[in-house]
Amino acid sequence: MEKGLKLTKIDLKELEEEKKRNRIERLKFIDLYAKWLKKTPNKVWSKQQNKFLNK
Amino acid sequence: MEFEFKGNTIKFQRELSNLDKLVIKFTKILEKQEIDYVIISGYIAILFGRSRNTEDIDLFIEEMSFEKFKEFWTELEKQGFECIIESDPKQAYYEYLKNQTPVRFAIKGTFLPNFELKFAKTKYNFYSLKHKVKVIVNKEKLNIPELEMQIAFKLKLGSEKDFEDARHLYKVFKESLDMKLLENQIRELKVEKEAEERLWKKV
Repeated sequence: MEKGLKLTKIDLKELEEEKKRNRIERLKFIDLYAKWLKKTPNKVWSKQQNKFLNK
Repeated sequence: MEFEFKGNTIKFQRELSNLDKLVIKFTKILEKQEIDYVIISGYIAILFGRSRNTEDIDLFIEEMSFEKFKEFWTELEKQGFECIIESDPKQAYYEYLKNQTPVRFAIKGTFLPNFELKFAKTKYNFYSLKHKVKVIVNKEKLNIPELEMQIAFKLKLGSEKDFEDARHLYKVFKESLDMKLLENQIRELKVEKEAEERLWKKV
């Protein structure tokens, strides 16, 4: 049996569509997060960000 | 997020991260040595809340004589930093900085995060230095480029991370940005298509 992936044009198209969906989802997340940041006191968001950054 | 955006100053308070403290320590040395600088990396988005980390902090500094650079190098070493790509300041100056190649400094014995320094050489670099914005975070000062320039330049850099940084800054500061200036910078950098897809696009 041959090793490695063998992809058809349809498989590649599916991957491209998935990439597009991921990109849109990331944009949505950034918008949602920015919206949350804007309504959250600096003390609260920076504390939460630090927990993540200072890991 | 509460911040005060006045002219070329952004003032705000936040709980400082270890990364913020390190950046402040480094830029204080630049200030002490009277070296004009501007931070241009993803760190700006992080400073303003972006949910990601970074391995390096990029800065443009004004070009200087070797003697001045050596004094800066000595001060950095005194304060616990070391150059991680070159141990000889003369080589770092003539072989790297003068040839438009960056040098990197980190806390002695570490590699990450590190500060990537370049001499300002291009029109974009000089523009960023000339039109810098002073960020006063708590009581500490940091120089960054005007946000409109930074957003457009992130679109120009073009990685997924850069696009996301651009959108983050745009969304957070939307109401305070000079939209005409932003559109101009986007046009000048020829990133209208990227702006359409990554900045203005409603999702």
